[in-house]
Amino acid sequence: MNLEKVIFGAFVILACTLNFGFFIGDISDPRLHHELELAATLVVNLIAMTLKFGDRTQIGAIHLATSIVAVIQLVAAAMVWGWATHVAKLPTAGEVMATVVSLSGGALVANFISVTLLIGETLRRIR
Amino acid sequence: MSDILLITLRRMRAPIILLIAVYAIAVIGLTLVPGVDPEGRPWRMSYFDAFYVMSYTATTIGFGEIPYPFSYEQRAWMTVSIYLTVIGWAYTLGSVFALVNTPAFRHAFARSRFESRVRQMGEPFYVICGYGQSGRRLVRALDELGFGTVIIESDPERARPHLLRDTRNPSLLLVADARATGVLVAAGVTHEQCVGVLALTGSDEANQAIAIGAKVLARDLAVLARATAPAVRETLEAFGGVVIVDPYEAFAYNFGVAVAKPDTLRLEDWLSGVPGTRPPRRIEAPRGHWVVAGHGRFGRSLGAALEGIGLTWKAIDLKPERCGEGGIQGSALLEANLRAAGIEQACGIIAGTDSDSNNLAIVNAARRLQKKLFVVVRQNHADNRSLIEAARPDMEFVQSLVMTHECVQLLTTPLLNRFLMQARRQPAVWAVGALGRLRDSVGDTVPHTWALVCDPAKLGIKYALVEAPEPPFTLGHLLMDPDDRRKHLAAVPLLLLANGRDQLLPDEHTALHAGDRILFAGEPGIESLQRRVLNDDGAVHYLRTGREPARTWLGRLLESRLAAADRQAA
Repeated sequence: MNLEKVIFGAFVILACTLNFGFFIGDISDPRLHHELELAATLVVNLIAMTLKFGDRTQIGAIHLATSIVAVIQLVAAAMVWGWATHVAKLPTAGEVMATVVSLSGGALVANFISVTLLIGETLRRIR
Repeated sequence: MSDILLITLRRMRAPIILLIAVYAIAVIGLTLVPGVDPEGRPWRMSYFDAFYVMSYTATTIGFGEIPYPFSYEQRAWMTVSIYLTVIGWAYTLGSVFALVNTPAFRHAFARSRFESRVRQMGEPFYVICGYGQSGRRLVRALDELGFGTVIIESDPERARPHLLRDTRNPSLLLVADARATGVLVAAGVTHEQCVGVLALTGSDEANQAIAIGAKVLARDLAVLARATAPAVRETLEAFGGVVIVDPYEAFAYNFGVAVAKPDTLRLEDWLSGVPGTRPPRRIEAPRGHWVVAGHGRFGRSLGAALEGIGLTWKAIDLKPERCGEGGIQGSALLEANLRAAGIEQACGIIAGTDSDSNNLAIVNAARRLQKKLFVVVRQNHADNRSLIEAARPDMEFVQSLVMTHECVQLLTTPLLNRFLMQARRQPAVWAVGALGRLRDSVGDTVPHTWALVCDPAKLGIKYALVEAPEPPFTLGHLLMDPDDRRKHLAAVPLLLLANGRDQLLPDEHTALHAGDRILFAGEPGIESLQRRVLNDDGAVHYLRTGREPARTWLGRLLESRLAAADRQAA
């Protein structure tokens, strides 16, 4: 057992599960998407990205790439949310919520890819 | 660059994760802590507000309590957050400074800067492996000749003086072991501007590895290696394409010439010195019996040279296995040993031990026994210059000087080497004449040497040899100033290579043909004037007739009209 792998695997999967939790539910209903969950997803994704810094391997590079994509999507979602409520003063329900959730949905795809890579890598090691 | 990025990213992982975690705790906590707005209603900070407040608080900017004054719960959380985030930042910044100071990071940084500077080299350059005495001298000589240099030296102590150097052409230094081909590539061996590689380290084995590595990386490169051990020389000769320089052999050869044809030696030294410096004085070694003190590699080479001219000699060495047949075992400082070697009948002594103070003492001891001696001294360390000068030698062996001479001669103009080989075969009187001609036109300094090729693809040559072959274009035309043809350029044609035949010191009336190669010696700047002639049909016309032809269409039209008018008038 390699502690580094455990930590990294935990963060990658946690990023995916948290994101999934935020994403699921009616896309435009703010009652089904808690802002704390988005914040947690963003933080966990940031950490998962940082964990892959400086990895020279090919698979490490792809991990880093998918994490960067997820982080970009989530930062965009957070910024849209913040902008809409504080600057544009729009109601959260409806259009704004749909944009935020769909952006996090994009990040979720990137998280899925990360998890798939993780599983694929593990299977290759086992064989 | 990617190395630095990787090292930085890997080392910064922990601090960045800590920072993310601290910010997350502080920001999320701040959004959860209850507050009160000015109207007294319960209020919670949004993520945007919380992140904004934490951003300016953590970086100790401190704009105050925004957007409303905080409640006591919020203040309590802020207190915790301030300490957390400040610790996070302190740790991160500390890690950055620690990283910048680690030898690995500095090394990677220096290496990547070096590589990018090598890539940007815009002028021809040489790669020099080994920055010892020879390396330093060669860098100066090559700089004088207009070449850049990239130096590889494995010893950081030896590399240090390079920091204080100032050269006209770029000179870069990398502290690394040049035996690794990766280092050679980093130093630009495969760069298109790289002209040659010089392996001048103190170890023959290292030089062999460098020379072979460089030759494998770039086939067409001029590769030069210092090698004195017979085994290494054989390997390199078998490998092929590597020019081997043996300072002992080279000096022994010069010594032989100094005895047999002193003026030829002077001509050789004069032409292969560092351009612009004072030429060496004339050395004439006497014929007779010689005493060789110190019979190592240096002594053996000189002994062989003496034998080659047919002179007698006797060796003295401390080590019995080095004395060989007829040698005297013992210290050359003892009068008895010097007498046994025949110092009283000798015409010269060679002090060739590897200790400079010993060499000085040997010379003094020998002079006490025999006043009129021709003294050859070996100088081992550059710092012992004054010691060797105190011995008042007639000829001194300084390895770095010999190496520089040999390398410059072999590298810069291969034609010069060819000329010198031919010159060695000429009688001694010929060398006196050649020296006279050089001194007359160039003066008392070491001249620049360069080669010109009569390439018919060049406009001037095409005009002179193909389009208008009459009157014949001669060597004399190339020695006229293209700006004022009454002026004679301060240059001497040393060698003309025509149809595979070598012509030493060709006459000015010699007609030139396509494909001829000419070696010139002269002042700097003349080469570019001559190249202008080779590339400009107008200049050729001017040199032949003394009239500058019209260069434009309108000018030519006017000229032909005027000429027609002249004819009609006549």
